[in-house]
Amino acid sequence: LDLSNCSLHSVPPELAEATAAIVLDLTENPLTTLPNGSFLGFTHLQLLAVPPALECPGGSDAWQEVTVDGSSRRCQGQKNPCNGSTDLAWLCPENSACAPDGPGFIQCLCDNPFHGYKCLREGTFPVLLFGGILGTATISLSLLLWGTQRRKAKTP
Amino acid sequence: MALPVGLRRQPANRGLVSRCTHHHVVVFLLTFFSYSLLHASRKTFSNVKVSISSQWTPSCLNSTAPELRPDELWNSNRLFPNAEEATLFLGTLDTIFLFSYAVGLFVSGIVGDRLNLRWVLSFGMCSSALVVFFFGTLTEWLHFYNKWFYCCLWVVNGLLQSTGWPCVVAVMGNWFGKAGRGFVFGLWSACASVGNILGAFLASCVLKYGYEYAFLVTASVQFAGGVIVFFGLLTSPKEVGLPELGADEDAVVEEDANRPLMGSDDADDDDRNYSIQAADTDNQPKAIGFFQACCLPGVVLYSLAYACLKLVNYSFFFWLPFYLSNNFGWKEAEADQLSIWYDVGGIIGGTIQGLISDVLQKRAPVLAISLLFAVGSLFGYSRSPNSKPINAVIMAITGFFIGGPSNMISSAISADLGRQDLVKGSSEALATVTGIVDGTGSIGAAVGQ
Repeated sequence: LDLSNCSLHSVPPELAEATAAIVLDLTENPLTTLPNGSFLGFTHLQLLAVPPALECPGGSDAWQEVTVDGSSRRCQGQKNPCNGSTDLAWLCPENSACAPDGPGFIQCLCDNPFHGYKCLREGTFPVLLFGGILGTATISLSLLLWGTQRRKAKTP
Repeated sequence: MALPVGLRRQPANRGLVSRCTHHHVVVFLLTFFSYSLLHASRKTFSNVKVSISSQWTPSCLNSTAPELRPDELWNSNRLFPNAEEATLFLGTLDTIFLFSYAVGLFVSGIVGDRLNLRWVLSFGMCSSALVVFFFGTLTEWLHFYNKWFYCCLWVVNGLLQSTGWPCVVAVMGNWFGKAGRGFVFGLWSACASVGNILGAFLASCVLKYGYEYAFLVTASVQFAGGVIVFFGLLTSPKEVGLPELGADEDAVVEEDANRPLMGSDDADDDDRNYSIQAADTDNQPKAIGFFQACCLPGVVLYSLAYACLKLVNYSFFFWLPFYLSNNFGWKEAEADQLSIWYDVGGIIGGTIQGLISDVLQKRAPVLAISLLFAVGSLFGYSRSPNSKPINAVIMAITGFFIGGPSNMISSAISADLGRQDLVKGSSEALATVTGIVDGTGSIGAAVGQ
């Protein structure tokens, strides 16, 4: 995705939709700063070029290689923040695991059998099986009791 | 009058065994389990409080840590900003439930008397099951969380559940009469505790799938129970042509009044509704006014004592699993399974203390001693260590000492008040008085919430 020389004064909000980008070029734009959450979700980004005055998002620790030449700063090879030296990975609550969410960002996704809000739920409830057993039991008990008890009942 | 009473006593005892048909057995079991199911669905709510409160609140981390992503997985439900407010709301729901339950008790006795008991009971069970389903399962499936909706549903649930007790007691009264009441009712009134155990067990099994399935399971089992009751319950021996009970038993009222009812919390209500049914066969029940009933010696004292006891009992009933998992960090399912021990203690306590006071012929000393021990055991419980076996044992002991006096007060009311000169033979007075006591008890419990 080539956005160089587009006279951007600030990161456009529509950029957030381009999360599948692998290469992003923002050089030669009069950008003053990269807001903190600009690159949320850019998990595939492998090469980011920004004006040399700006830092790589997530800091230099989030990238394997940071090179600065005259007109641009290149951030190459996004590192997985979950393996890295940063101590963010312990933040994930019970039943969830760290997953990358962009340069320097992590998200917590549920571990395998868990799902649902806050990963509280495990497995799926066998609704049909339960309903089937309960229905059969109810019908048979009702018929049995009706036969033995109420069939001879006279309504008062 | 000694001779006729003595003569009539014999047939009653013999009659208890001889007239026990399979109809009696079925009626016993059906009413037992229908009230158990009602209690089980009440218990489900207490058991899933932790899960519900985490469902309603966003994730809570230390303020220095950044917010968790993805947002819809961790922070999207903001019905309450934090767990404390959610807990407050849960307590409010309990209070609302108890108040509407108390109101409903007054109404349901009258309704059950005028309409067919079987219809009222199965309607109450099925519609209460539907309401519980809407409350717990449908709101989760549709992700519709709304405080007013929850409150309204729970009020309706309280009113519908209150149809259960008067109806089951009236049916039992029709079939078992006053003579066999001591033993049979003693056994039968374990149904509330059995219901608690059943509810806790069901909830803890299903909780890992999500709290909405706990509600689904208890609601559908209760609905099934309502259907079975509709098809299988005979409300009185008249319906199959067996002789109606009650005509030959007025004379043994005095002896039976001495026999303690080993009833559960609400055993006093059984007298009220039983006597409404028996009013048809009595010639002229002398009703006593509300204020006269209040002025009878012991009524006010017992009412207040019962209110305090019911406060403690229901606090335990409603909040025990929540307390266990919050205080000790146990998983909710384990906390549920452990809270079963409280009910076990209650069953044993009610039975044994009833027996003791029966043998001693004195109730007040047994009550007083047991309550003293109850204070001690509650104190000990608040200091119990983080170890499951010890906690279970202390919990059972606490249940023993609280459940015992609770049952005793409700049985003592029926016994002692029945002996008073002013109200001898006036079963309606008994009903009014026990209605006062139970209503006060419920209000005390509601206030305590």
